[in-house]
Amino acid sequence: MGINAKVKRTLDEFPSDVSFEVKDNVVFLEGKVKEYRDWVKIGSEIGDIDGVEGVVNNLECEGKELTDIEKVIDKSKGKENIRIGKYDVVIIGGGIIGCALARELSRYEIEVALVEKEPDVSLGQSRANNGMIHPGLAPSKDSLKRFLNIKGNEMYEDLCEELDVPFKRVGSLILITPRTMKEYKKYIPNPIYKFFLKYILPWIVKKKGDLNGVEDIEILRGSEIHEEEKNVTQDVLAAVKIPSTGIVDPYQLTIALFENAEKNGVDFYLETKAVDFVKHNRAVKRVITEKGTLECEYVVNAAGLYSDFVAELAGAREFTIHPRKGVELLFNKRLNGWIDRCLAELKIPSHPTSKGGGINPTVHGNIIWGPTAEEIVDRNDASVEREKIEEIMERYSSIIPDFPKEEFIRYFAGVRAATFTEDFVIRPAKWVKNFLHVAGIQSPGIASVPAIAEYSIEQLKNMGLKLKEDESFDGTRTSIDRVAEMDEDVLERKIEEDSRWGNIVCTCEMVSEAEIIEAVKRGADSFDAIKRRTRAGMGECQESYCLLRISEIISREMDIPLNEVKKEWRDSEFFDGFVRGEEL
Amino acid sequence: MKDVVVIGGGPSGLATASELGKRGYQVILLERNDELGGLLQQCIHDGFGTILFGESMSGPEFADIFISRVRDEGVEIKLKAYVKSVKKKGGHFNITTVTPKGIEELKSKSVVYAIGCRERNQFEIKIGGTRPSGIYTAGTVQRLVNLYGILPGKDVVILGGGDVGMIVARHLFLEGVNSILMVYPEEFFSGLPRNAQQCILDFDIPYRPRTIVRSILGDKKVKGVELIEVDEDWQPIKGTEERYSCDSVILSVGLIPYSEKLEDLGAKIDENTSGPMVNEYFETTVDGVFSVGNLIQIFDYVDDAVKTSFIAAEGVERYLEKEDEKNLGIKLKPGDNVRTVTPQRIDQTTDEKFSAFFRPEIEKENPKVEIVSGDDVLERHVKRYVRPSMLEEISVSKDILLGENEVFIDVR
Repeated sequence: MGINAKVKRTLDEFPSDVSFEVKDNVVFLEGKVKEYRDWVKIGSEIGDIDGVEGVVNNLECEGKELTDIEKVIDKSKGKENIRIGKYDVVIIGGGIIGCALARELSRYEIEVALVEKEPDVSLGQSRANNGMIHPGLAPSKDSLKRFLNIKGNEMYEDLCEELDVPFKRVGSLILITPRTMKEYKKYIPNPIYKFFLKYILPWIVKKKGDLNGVEDIEILRGSEIHEEEKNVTQDVLAAVKIPSTGIVDPYQLTIALFENAEKNGVDFYLETKAVDFVKHNRAVKRVITEKGTLECEYVVNAAGLYSDFVAELAGAREFTIHPRKGVELLFNKRLNGWIDRCLAELKIPSHPTSKGGGINPTVHGNIIWGPTAEEIVDRNDASVEREKIEEIMERYSSIIPDFPKEEFIRYFAGVRAATFTEDFVIRPAKWVKNFLHVAGIQSPGIASVPAIAEYSIEQLKNMGLKLKEDESFDGTRTSIDRVAEMDEDVLERKIEEDSRWGNIVCTCEMVSEAEIIEAVKRGADSFDAIKRRTRAGMGECQESYCLLRISEIISREMDIPLNEVKKEWRDSEFFDGFVRGEEL
Repeated sequence: MKDVVVIGGGPSGLATASELGKRGYQVILLERNDELGGLLQQCIHDGFGTILFGESMSGPEFADIFISRVRDEGVEIKLKAYVKSVKKKGGHFNITTVTPKGIEELKSKSVVYAIGCRERNQFEIKIGGTRPSGIYTAGTVQRLVNLYGILPGKDVVILGGGDVGMIVARHLFLEGVNSILMVYPEEFFSGLPRNAQQCILDFDIPYRPRTIVRSILGDKKVKGVELIEVDEDWQPIKGTEERYSCDSVILSVGLIPYSEKLEDLGAKIDENTSGPMVNEYFETTVDGVFSVGNLIQIFDYVDDAVKTSFIAAEGVERYLEKEDEKNLGIKLKPGDNVRTVTPQRIDQTTDEKFSAFFRPEIEKENPKVEIVSGDDVLERHVKRYVRPSMLEEISVSKDILLGENEVFIDVR
């Protein structure tokens, strides 16, 4: 049966008035559905069909118009007449993918530019995830996800070593408990249910991992489990131990990739939104941004949540992003030691609004719970509902029941850039010659990063990009020195040179004035940009002590008034005007 | 080897250090900020000192008295001093500090923690929504307005009906913001009645009891809040959501003693006060480690907080002179209608009386305050009026406690 027939059969199951068209294995959906739920469901079912390489979901539904491309991109703001430069490759998007690719391309003797609409790199999903380097067990065998995840995971030590970013291969445990298949429990006699969970299911999980290429998976039972992780629930029946799972700080890694790419000659244009493309003979010739025009030989679409919009501007729309929000709860560092590995409780079937998630340590010693998974209309919506916080506390507490779950210090949401085929989309655009999609990157995206960068370059080569290694490439980069992690004799020496190393301005995370100044020197121009580079404000008091003190340093170092210090963006200045009758 | 290191240069740290200096001990005072005085420096309103000095002063004026005292008593002061670690070794303490002058290892026979408290933030009270700029704790706003002359915003929502929130509301009103709305989950203002009158009612500042901020609205800057009414248990009532426009949200939702550093040293923490468990001389459960001021529990008046300093100074002296007898370890606990009690244990038989501080759970006229063991009332005190917003102090006779294991403070 051809794709047309399969799509038709799938659509017949829905009562709605939906028409479709198939072009080069991409399905275009037109028509109208009632609710957003249906919009997602139809898209997903079409995306599941074998052979479908993309779903462009143009269905209308209530509320959807709020997130139309016109609401996000205003072509009239493009500055076509201002020429910024000429590049071999222009990357759209400064998330971890764009930055990794930029760095990888900086190994060669070509001119590379990256444009990013936000004032800093890492401001999309790259900053709002739990930093887990997945082992590659979850993706299906034939997926690109699996291939790149397994490969990327293996590359992490070297990458993080070169970039001076903390990475820990902590390993993970998938826990099988009486709750694992509780919906089936009523159909199965208890001894058989328990036997299946304890002896059969772990084997199935291990087998899947083995087949996927995950190495050294072990099955643990009884006291073995608590020897590995003393605080996991007592009623655990079996655990699947995966040594290759790791953790990283995702925004620090993105910043490191950015700094290293820049050092090797990539031009980064931040706060520079791409709003249009000029094409000639089915190829993009120019990228028009709100600040000016970049001439280009190749374009890479690494625009994350907005990658379908960027594709559409180029006439390369082969997929639609359906944003999926995830909320995470971050706990006080003092609870460091409660767990050593990433822990998850296996649930079959998976939870309708949260497919996975679990409890992970972070490289900084915090513990993080989550994420949830929820389909949302507005891709810009990273708000957290009060009820979600309680849902997470409830949902994951069965993993470590005695954990003081009230001691979280922060929560946040990230939005995944999911496509309906749910696999990574890394391929040349079907209808534009020099346009590479690196899109649909969601979990295990961070784990796959190094492999995605390499694989993307292979794609560019296949598209005709000529690459000659640049001998001056230097892949090393150093992080800002951290007083909190410094040996005392080193700190003593540094303070002797510059007393500001001894002026601790964030007492929760022990961050010195000198670190703040170094972050400003490296280009951070907002409180949050400094926070991501130094960890100032990330401790238990959550900025209530250091907000003003650090703002004062920013104001002094950047030579701007205190009330012009911004949180992140233009128009996010912290403080208002002066009190009645006062001027600085 | 110093006799004592006092950590924290706010009012109670200053008072402890100066008192011990006066008694002839070698004292070092460590302060993380670049000036002494702690939170008082940002409290330019008056009302400080009425109990101790019989006159109403501003925060900085009150602080100045004790700053002069530490200087007069020859206390060694280190500013911008970050305490990296405190370790007990044998009978003394090694304290590692980081300052702009370098790393220094101090040795002392005893340590007094006077590190106060921090403000609860938006996450601890589960405010939902976005995370734009424009959300501040009340302390940050006080600092901003009083020390920098800058306003947080023009249209302000203040969450919390306690003293700090009310005082900030009045300040912002006088300094010229456009609008203020105060919301709080309690039925009545939780701060002192005099503050409710002088800060809110006298200025006709709008307020809504039984209301909280459910969510923050706005992507880059605060554009508003979603308010929701709550029931008697502070649970949100569905269907009462209301959007309210504002450009900043100020949180005055409680203070938490900075007790984690003490916990790391092995001191036991009281779940009710969130501060360390102390004896009648404010010694923690770690020998030679004392704790004063808002670190023990949150005081309503700085005058009361400072009282603990004088008592602790006495305790430090007894410790240094090895005058302590065996530790009795009589437990003092909150009984009926009482939320918190300090001290949590009585160790020594010296002195006829000791000060006990308690926070009642109810509001009552002419209540009986009883020291109770089992069914026996050991001592009875009379108060004119108690309410949860007022921390109460009673002077308890020690001899009545001898032989008891644990006694309770009841309010009837």
